Amino acid sequence: MKRLYVVSLIVALAAIAIAGNARSISTDIPAAPAIGATIVDFTLPDTDGKDHALNSLKGKNGTVLIFIAVQCPISNAYNERMEKLAQDYKARGISLVGINANSTEPAADVKKHAAQNNLTFPILKDNGNKIADSLGATRTPETYFLDANNKLVYHGRIDNSRDLSQVNSSELRDALEATLAGKPVEKTTANAFGCAIKRAG
Amino acid sequence: MTARVRLIPFVVVGFVACISSLLQTVSAVAQSPSARTAHLGRKSHAPAVKRSARVRAINAGEMQDLLKRDGSHPLLVNYWATWCDPCRDEFPDLVKIDKQYRAKGLDFIAISLDDLADINSAVPKFLREMKAKMPVYLLNVADPEPAINSVDRGWSGALPATFLYNNKGEVVYKHFGRIKVDELRAAIEKLVSSKQ
Repeated sequence: MKRLYVVSLIVALAAIAIAGNARSISTDIPAAPAIGATIVDFTLPDTDGKDHALNSLKGKNGTVLIFIAVQCPISNAYNERMEKLAQDYKARGISLVGINANSTEPAADVKKHAAQNNLTFPILKDNGNKIADSLGATRTPETYFLDANNKLVYHGRIDNSRDLSQVNSSELRDALEATLAGKPVEKTTANAFGCAIKRAG
Repeated sequence: MTARVRLIPFVVVGFVACISSLLQTVSAVAQSPSARTAHLGRKSHAPAVKRSARVRAINAGEMQDLLKRDGSHPLLVNYWATWCDPCRDEFPDLVKIDKQYRAKGLDFIAISLDDLADINSAVPKFLREMKAKMPVYLLNVADPEPAINSVDRGWSGALPATFLYNNKGEVVYKHFGRIKVDELRAAIEKLVSSKQ
Protein backbone atom coordinates (compact mmCIF):
# COMPACT_ATOMS: atom_id res chain seq x y z
CA MET A 1 0.00 0.00 0.00
CA LYS A 2 2.76 2.39 1.00
CA ARG A 3 4.79 1.45 -2.08
CA LEU A 4 1.80 2.16 -4.30
CA TYR A 5 1.53 5.61 -2.73
CA VAL A 6 5.22 6.35 -3.36
CA VAL A 7 4.95 5.16 -6.97
CA SER A 8 1.89 7.36 -7.64
CA LEU A 9 3.66 10.31 -6.05
CA ILE A 10 6.65 9.85 -8.36
CA VAL A 11 4.35 9.54 -11.40
CA ALA A 12 2.47 12.69 -10.36
CA LEU A 13 5.70 14.66 -9.85
CA ALA A 14 7.01 13.49 -13.22
CA ALA A 15 3.78 14.61 -14.87
CA ILE A 16 4.07 18.03 -13.24
CA ALA A 17 7.69 18.34 -14.36
CA ILE A 18 6.78 17.46 -17.96
CA ALA A 19 3.81 19.84 -17.96
CA GLY A 20 5.99 22.56 -16.48
CA ASN A 21 8.29 22.40 -19.48
CA ALA A 22 5.45 23.07 -21.89
CA ARG A 23 5.81 26.34 -23.77
CA SER A 24 4.42 29.14 -21.76
CA ILE A 25 2.35 30.82 -24.45
CA SER A 26 -0.44 28.70 -25.84
CA THR A 27 -1.48 29.88 -29.29
CA ASP A 28 -2.22 26.83 -31.39
CA ILE A 29 -3.94 28.72 -34.18
CA PRO A 30 -1.79 29.95 -37.10
CA ALA A 31 -1.70 33.69 -37.73
CA ALA A 32 -4.05 35.13 -40.36
CA PRO A 33 -2.60 36.05 -43.76
CA ALA A 34 -1.49 39.67 -44.01
CA ILE A 35 -3.70 42.20 -45.76
CA GLY A 36 -2.71 42.14 -49.42
CA ALA A 37 -1.83 38.44 -49.39
CA THR A 38 -3.37 36.27 -52.11
CA ILE A 39 -5.66 33.55 -50.81
CA VAL A 40 -4.93 30.31 -52.62
CA ASP A 41 -7.94 28.58 -54.16
CA PHE A 42 -9.42 25.84 -51.99
CA THR A 43 -12.22 23.31 -52.22
CA LEU A 44 -14.74 22.49 -49.51
CA PRO A 45 -18.01 20.52 -49.53
CA ASP A 46 -21.38 22.22 -49.09
CA THR A 47 -23.93 20.87 -46.59
CA ASP A 48 -24.99 18.20 -49.11
CA GLY A 49 -21.41 17.01 -49.48
CA LYS A 50 -20.91 18.52 -52.97
CA ASP A 51 -17.46 20.06 -53.45
CA HIS A 52 -17.04 23.69 -54.46
CA ALA A 53 -13.84 25.52 -55.30
CA LEU A 54 -13.50 29.10 -54.08
CA ASN A 55 -12.85 30.15 -57.67
CA SER A 56 -16.19 28.66 -58.78
CA LEU A 57 -18.09 30.70 -56.15
CA LYS A 58 -16.25 34.00 -56.32
CA GLY A 59 -17.87 37.14 -57.65
CA LYS A 60 -16.39 39.16 -60.47
CA ASN A 61 -15.63 41.98 -58.06
CA GLY A 62 -14.71 39.91 -55.06
CA THR A 63 -15.78 37.41 -52.41
CA VAL A 64 -16.72 37.69 -48.75
CA LEU A 65 -15.96 34.60 -46.67
CA ILE A 66 -17.73 34.50 -43.30
CA PHE A 67 -17.05 31.91 -40.64
CA ILE A 68 -20.45 31.23 -39.12
CA ALA A 69 -21.97 28.95 -36.51
CA VAL A 70 -25.18 27.13 -35.74
CA GLN A 71 -25.14 27.65 -31.99
CA CYS A 72 -23.17 30.85 -31.40
CA PRO A 73 -25.59 33.60 -30.29
CA ILE A 74 -23.31 36.29 -31.71
CA SER A 75 -23.19 34.65 -35.14
CA ASN A 76 -26.95 34.17 -34.94
CA ALA A 77 -27.44 37.84 -34.09
CA TYR A 78 -25.93 38.54 -37.53
CA ASN A 79 -28.02 36.09 -39.60
CA GLU A 80 -30.27 38.76 -41.09
CA ARG A 81 -27.39 41.18 -41.63
CA MET A 82 -25.35 38.48 -43.43
CA GLU A 83 -28.27 37.58 -45.69
CA LYS A 84 -28.84 41.26 -46.47
CA LEU A 85 -25.15 41.71 -47.33
CA ALA A 86 -25.37 38.71 -49.68
CA GLN A 87 -28.47 40.15 -51.39
CA ASP A 88 -27.18 43.73 -51.54
CA TYR A 89 -23.87 42.85 -53.16
CA LYS A 90 -24.82 39.89 -55.36
CA ALA A 91 -26.02 42.24 -58.10
CA ARG A 92 -22.83 44.28 -57.73
CA GLY A 93 -20.56 41.32 -58.40
CA ILE A 94 -19.49 40.38 -54.89
CA SER A 95 -20.48 36.95 -53.63
CA LEU A 96 -20.81 35.92 -50.00
CA VAL A 97 -19.83 32.43 -48.84
CA GLY A 98 -20.42 31.09 -45.35
CA ILE A 99 -18.00 28.58 -43.83
CA ASN A 100 -18.84 26.45 -40.81
CA ALA A 101 -15.64 25.13 -39.21
CA ASN A 102 -17.11 24.02 -35.88
CA SER A 103 -16.30 20.36 -35.33
CA THR A 104 -19.34 20.16 -33.05
CA GLU A 105 -21.78 21.14 -35.82
CA PRO A 106 -22.35 18.47 -38.49
CA ALA A 107 -23.37 19.36 -42.07
CA ALA A 108 -26.98 18.28 -41.45
CA ASP A 109 -27.30 20.78 -38.56
CA VAL A 110 -25.71 23.52 -40.67
CA LYS A 111 -28.17 22.84 -43.50
CA LYS A 112 -31.18 22.87 -41.14
CA HIS A 113 -29.98 26.06 -39.45
CA ALA A 114 -29.56 27.81 -42.82
CA ALA A 115 -33.08 26.84 -43.88
CA GLN A 116 -34.59 27.95 -40.56
CA ASN A 117 -32.84 31.31 -40.73
CA ASN A 118 -33.40 31.92 -44.46
CA LEU A 119 -29.69 32.00 -45.28
CA THR A 120 -29.62 31.64 -49.06
CA PHE A 121 -25.88 32.14 -49.66
CA PRO A 122 -23.72 29.02 -50.10
CA ILE A 123 -22.39 27.51 -46.86
CA LEU A 124 -19.38 25.22 -46.92
CA LYS A 125 -18.36 22.76 -44.24
CA ASP A 126 -14.70 23.01 -43.22
CA ASN A 127 -14.19 19.55 -41.76
CA GLY A 128 -10.98 19.37 -39.74
CA ASN A 129 -10.87 23.22 -39.83
CA LYS A 130 -8.17 23.22 -42.53
CA ILE A 131 -9.35 26.44 -44.13
CA ALA A 132 -9.97 28.09 -40.74
CA ASP A 133 -6.34 27.23 -39.94
CA SER A 134 -4.97 28.53 -43.23
CA LEU A 135 -6.90 31.77 -42.79
CA GLY A 136 -6.15 32.02 -39.07
CA ALA A 137 -9.86 32.26 -38.30
CA THR A 138 -10.65 32.10 -34.58
CA ARG A 139 -14.22 33.18 -33.99
CA THR A 140 -17.72 33.41 -35.38
CA PRO A 141 -18.67 35.59 -37.07
CA GLU A 142 -15.33 36.49 -38.67
CA THR A 143 -15.09 37.82 -42.21
CA TYR A 144 -12.48 37.91 -44.99
CA PHE A 145 -13.05 40.08 -48.03
CA LEU A 146 -11.06 39.07 -51.09
CA ASP A 147 -10.92 41.31 -54.13
CA ALA A 148 -11.41 40.13 -57.72
CA ASN A 149 -7.88 38.66 -57.66
CA ASN A 150 -8.39 36.84 -54.35
CA LYS A 151 -6.22 39.35 -52.53
CA LEU A 152 -7.23 39.86 -48.90
CA VAL A 153 -8.37 43.47 -48.53
CA TYR A 154 -10.34 43.32 -45.25
CA HIS A 155 -10.33 40.88 -42.32
CA GLY A 156 -12.47 41.19 -39.21
CA ARG A 157 -15.90 41.98 -37.92
CA ILE A 158 -19.05 42.82 -39.83
CA ASP A 159 -19.71 45.89 -37.67
CA ASN A 160 -19.20 47.15 -34.12
CA SER A 161 -22.20 45.65 -32.32
CA ARG A 162 -24.25 42.49 -32.26
CA ASP A 163 -27.12 44.75 -31.19
CA LEU A 164 -28.33 46.28 -34.46
CA SER A 165 -29.55 49.45 -32.70
CA GLN A 166 -25.99 50.12 -31.44
CA VAL A 167 -24.26 49.81 -34.82
CA ASN A 168 -22.39 52.97 -35.78
CA SER A 169 -19.49 51.58 -37.81
CA SER A 170 -19.83 48.95 -40.55
CA GLU A 171 -16.28 48.09 -41.51
CA LEU A 172 -17.13 45.23 -43.88
CA ARG A 173 -19.64 47.29 -45.88
CA ASP A 174 -17.17 50.19 -45.96
CA ALA A 175 -14.51 47.85 -47.38
CA LEU A 176 -16.91 46.52 -50.03
CA GLU A 177 -17.99 50.02 -51.05
CA ALA A 178 -14.41 51.28 -51.23
CA THR A 179 -13.34 48.35 -53.40
CA LEU A 180 -16.33 48.74 -55.73
CA ALA A 181 -15.47 52.43 -56.06
CA GLY A 182 -11.85 51.54 -56.88
CA LYS A 183 -10.58 53.15 -53.71
CA PRO A 184 -8.26 51.67 -51.08
CA VAL A 185 -9.91 50.23 -47.97
CA GLU A 186 -9.33 52.63 -45.05
CA LYS A 187 -9.81 50.23 -42.15
CA THR A 188 -8.44 46.84 -43.15
CA THR A 189 -9.01 45.01 -39.85
CA ALA A 190 -11.41 45.36 -36.91
CA ASN A 191 -12.08 43.06 -33.99
CA ALA A 192 -15.20 42.19 -32.02
CA PHE A 193 -16.15 39.65 -29.41
CA GLY A 194 -17.43 36.35 -30.77
CA CYS A 195 -17.53 32.62 -30.14
CA ALA A 196 -14.29 30.69 -30.47
CA ILE A 197 -14.35 28.29 -33.44
CA LYS A 198 -14.61 24.79 -32.01
CA ARG A 199 -11.70 23.08 -33.68
CA ALA A 200 -11.36 19.33 -34.05
CA GLY A 201 -9.13 17.45 -31.60
CA MET B 1 -15.59 -6.68 8.25
CA THR B 2 -13.05 -4.58 10.20
CA ALA B 3 -12.98 -2.09 7.34
CA ARG B 4 -16.73 -1.77 7.54
CA VAL B 5 -16.58 -1.23 11.31
CA ARG B 6 -13.97 1.45 10.80
CA LEU B 7 -16.28 3.25 8.35
CA ILE B 8 -19.17 3.49 10.83
CA PRO B 9 -18.04 6.70 12.60
CA PHE B 10 -17.69 8.47 9.23
CA VAL B 11 -21.15 7.36 8.13
CA VAL B 12 -22.63 8.62 11.43
CA VAL B 13 -20.83 11.97 11.19
CA GLY B 14 -21.91 12.35 7.57
CA PHE B 15 -25.52 11.62 8.45
CA VAL B 16 -25.53 14.15 11.32
CA ALA B 17 -23.95 16.79 9.06
CA CYS B 18 -26.59 16.24 6.39
CA ILE B 19 -29.46 16.50 8.86
CA SER B 20 -28.05 19.64 10.50
CA SER B 21 -27.50 21.44 7.19
CA LEU B 22 -31.02 20.46 6.13
CA LEU B 23 -32.41 21.90 9.39
CA GLN B 24 -30.45 25.13 8.87
CA THR B 25 -31.84 25.55 5.37
CA VAL B 26 -35.39 24.94 6.59
CA SER B 27 -35.02 27.46 9.41
CA ALA B 28 -33.47 30.09 7.10
CA VAL B 29 -36.38 29.75 4.69
CA ALA B 30 -38.89 29.98 7.55
CA GLN B 31 -37.47 33.28 8.82
CA SER B 32 -38.97 36.64 7.86
CA PRO B 33 -37.08 38.59 5.15
CA SER B 34 -35.67 41.06 7.69
CA ALA B 35 -34.51 38.30 10.04
CA ARG B 36 -32.94 36.53 7.07
CA THR B 37 -31.05 39.68 6.04
CA ALA B 38 -29.73 40.04 9.57
CA HIS B 39 -28.69 36.42 9.54
CA LEU B 40 -26.86 36.88 6.23
CA GLY B 41 -25.19 39.99 7.58
CA ARG B 42 -23.41 38.00 10.25
CA LYS B 43 -20.03 37.23 8.84
CA SER B 44 -19.66 33.69 10.08
CA HIS B 45 -22.88 32.55 8.42
CA ALA B 46 -22.97 34.82 5.38
CA PRO B 47 -22.64 32.72 2.26
CA ALA B 48 -19.66 34.14 0.35
CA VAL B 49 -21.22 33.23 -2.97
CA LYS B 50 -24.04 35.72 -2.45
CA ARG B 51 -21.68 38.57 -1.72
CA SER B 52 -19.30 37.84 -4.58
CA ALA B 53 -22.08 37.40 -7.12
CA ARG B 54 -22.25 41.18 -7.45
CA VAL B 55 -20.94 42.22 -10.84
CA ARG B 56 -19.62 45.69 -11.56
CA ALA B 57 -19.80 47.32 -14.97
CA ILE B 58 -16.49 48.77 -16.18
CA ASN B 59 -15.31 50.71 -19.20
CA ALA B 60 -12.15 50.02 -21.24
CA GLY B 61 -10.00 52.35 -19.09
CA GLU B 62 -11.13 50.72 -15.86
CA MET B 63 -10.35 47.34 -17.39
CA GLN B 64 -6.81 48.44 -18.19
CA ASP B 65 -6.39 49.60 -14.59
CA LEU B 66 -7.48 46.18 -13.35
CA LEU B 67 -4.78 44.51 -15.46
CA LYS B 68 -1.97 46.64 -13.98
CA ARG B 69 0.37 44.89 -11.54
CA ASP B 70 2.29 46.49 -8.69
CA GLY B 71 4.86 43.71 -8.38
CA SER B 72 3.15 41.75 -5.65
CA HIS B 73 0.88 39.17 -7.26
CA PRO B 74 0.48 37.38 -10.58
CA LEU B 75 -2.93 37.75 -12.21
CA LEU B 76 -5.21 35.38 -14.08
CA VAL B 77 -7.89 36.97 -16.28
CA ASN B 78 -10.71 35.08 -17.96
CA TYR B 79 -12.93 36.76 -20.57
CA TRP B 80 -16.25 34.99 -20.83
CA ALA B 81 -20.00 35.35 -21.29
CA THR B 82 -23.05 33.40 -20.24
CA TRP B 83 -24.00 33.03 -23.92
CA CYS B 84 -20.69 31.27 -24.64
CA ASP B 85 -20.94 27.49 -24.17
CA PRO B 86 -17.21 26.73 -23.84
CA CYS B 87 -16.99 29.58 -21.30
CA ARG B 88 -19.68 27.92 -19.20
CA ASP B 89 -18.06 24.52 -19.65
CA GLU B 90 -14.65 25.64 -18.42
CA PHE B 91 -15.90 27.76 -15.52
CA PRO B 92 -15.94 24.98 -12.88
CA ASP B 93 -12.25 24.36 -13.60
CA LEU B 94 -11.52 28.07 -13.18
CA VAL B 95 -13.40 28.15 -9.88
CA LYS B 96 -11.23 25.22 -8.70
CA ILE B 97 -8.06 26.99 -9.83
CA ASP B 98 -9.14 30.16 -8.02
CA LYS B 99 -9.81 28.19 -4.84
CA GLN B 100 -6.50 26.36 -5.05
CA TYR B 101 -4.18 29.25 -5.93
CA ARG B 102 -5.69 32.35 -4.35
CA ALA B 103 -4.10 31.52 -0.98
CA LYS B 104 -0.79 31.04 -2.82
CA GLY B 105 -0.93 34.62 -4.07
CA LEU B 106 -2.69 34.36 -7.43
CA ASP B 107 -5.16 37.15 -8.17
CA PHE B 108 -7.98 36.11 -10.46
CA ILE B 109 -10.60 38.27 -12.13
CA ALA B 110 -13.29 37.28 -14.59
CA ILE B 111 -14.50 39.81 -17.16
CA SER B 112 -17.92 39.19 -18.65
CA LEU B 113 -18.88 40.29 -22.15
CA ASP B 114 -22.56 39.82 -21.50
CA ASP B 115 -25.07 42.55 -22.26
CA LEU B 116 -25.41 45.20 -19.57
CA ALA B 117 -29.08 44.15 -19.28
CA ASP B 118 -27.91 40.82 -17.77
CA ILE B 119 -25.69 42.32 -15.06
CA ASN B 120 -28.20 41.72 -12.27
CA SER B 121 -29.79 38.58 -13.65
CA ALA B 122 -28.16 35.96 -15.89
CA VAL B 123 -24.57 36.82 -14.93
CA PRO B 124 -24.86 36.66 -11.10
CA LYS B 125 -27.22 33.69 -11.40
CA PHE B 126 -24.56 31.73 -13.28
CA LEU B 127 -21.85 32.80 -10.81
CA ARG B 128 -23.96 31.63 -7.88
CA GLU B 129 -24.48 28.27 -9.57
CA MET B 130 -20.74 27.99 -10.06
CA LYS B 131 -20.06 29.06 -6.45
CA ALA B 132 -17.61 31.55 -7.98
CA LYS B 133 -15.77 33.78 -5.53
CA MET B 134 -13.41 35.74 -7.77
CA PRO B 135 -14.23 39.40 -8.54
CA VAL B 136 -16.30 39.62 -11.71
CA TYR B 137 -16.71 42.68 -13.93
CA LEU B 138 -18.80 43.32 -17.00
CA LEU B 139 -17.10 45.22 -19.79
CA ASN B 140 -19.57 47.77 -21.11
CA VAL B 141 -18.28 49.38 -24.31
CA ALA B 142 -20.02 50.57 -27.47
CA ASP B 143 -17.06 49.52 -29.63
CA PRO B 144 -15.18 46.45 -28.36
CA GLU B 145 -12.13 46.88 -30.58
CA PRO B 146 -9.98 49.27 -28.51
CA ALA B 147 -10.51 47.07 -25.44
CA ILE B 148 -9.61 43.86 -27.32
CA ASN B 149 -6.49 45.43 -28.84
CA SER B 150 -5.39 46.87 -25.50
CA VAL B 151 -5.37 43.37 -24.00
CA ASP B 152 -3.46 41.59 -26.76
CA ARG B 153 -2.73 42.41 -30.39
CA GLY B 154 -3.02 38.72 -31.26
CA TRP B 155 -6.53 38.37 -29.85
CA SER B 156 -9.45 38.55 -32.26
CA GLY B 157 -12.05 38.78 -29.50
CA ALA B 158 -12.86 35.04 -29.58
CA LEU B 159 -14.34 33.81 -26.31
CA PRO B 160 -13.37 32.37 -23.97
CA ALA B 161 -9.91 33.90 -23.69
CA THR B 162 -7.59 33.44 -20.73
CA PHE B 163 -4.45 35.42 -19.90
CA LEU B 164 -1.93 34.88 -17.14
CA TYR B 165 0.27 37.82 -16.11
CA ASN B 166 3.32 37.71 -13.88
CA ASN B 167 3.61 40.24 -11.05
CA LYS B 168 5.25 42.70 -13.45
CA GLY B 169 2.16 42.64 -15.66
CA GLU B 170 3.76 40.68 -18.51
CA VAL B 171 1.66 38.02 -20.26
CA VAL B 172 3.28 34.65 -19.57
CA TYR B 173 0.48 32.44 -20.82
CA LYS B 174 -2.58 32.94 -22.99
CA HIS B 175 -5.19 30.67 -24.42
CA PHE B 176 -8.11 31.30 -26.77
CA GLY B 177 -11.00 28.83 -26.58
CA ARG B 178 -11.68 26.36 -23.81
CA ILE B 179 -8.73 26.20 -21.40
CA LYS B 180 -6.41 23.23 -21.21
CA VAL B 181 -6.44 22.78 -17.46
CA ASP B 182 -3.07 20.99 -17.13
CA GLU B 183 -1.30 23.58 -19.28
CA LEU B 184 -2.80 26.47 -17.31
CA ARG B 185 -2.00 24.88 -13.96
CA ALA B 186 1.61 24.31 -15.02
CA ALA B 187 1.94 27.98 -16.02
CA ILE B 188 0.46 29.10 -12.69
CA GLU B 189 2.69 26.72 -10.72
CA LYS B 190 5.73 28.31 -12.34
CA LEU B 191 4.64 31.74 -11.16
CA VAL B 192 3.55 30.95 -7.62
CA SER B 193 6.57 28.74 -6.91
CA SER B 194 9.22 31.06 -8.36
CA LYS B 195 7.99 34.07 -6.30
CA GLN B 196 8.94 36.33 -9.19
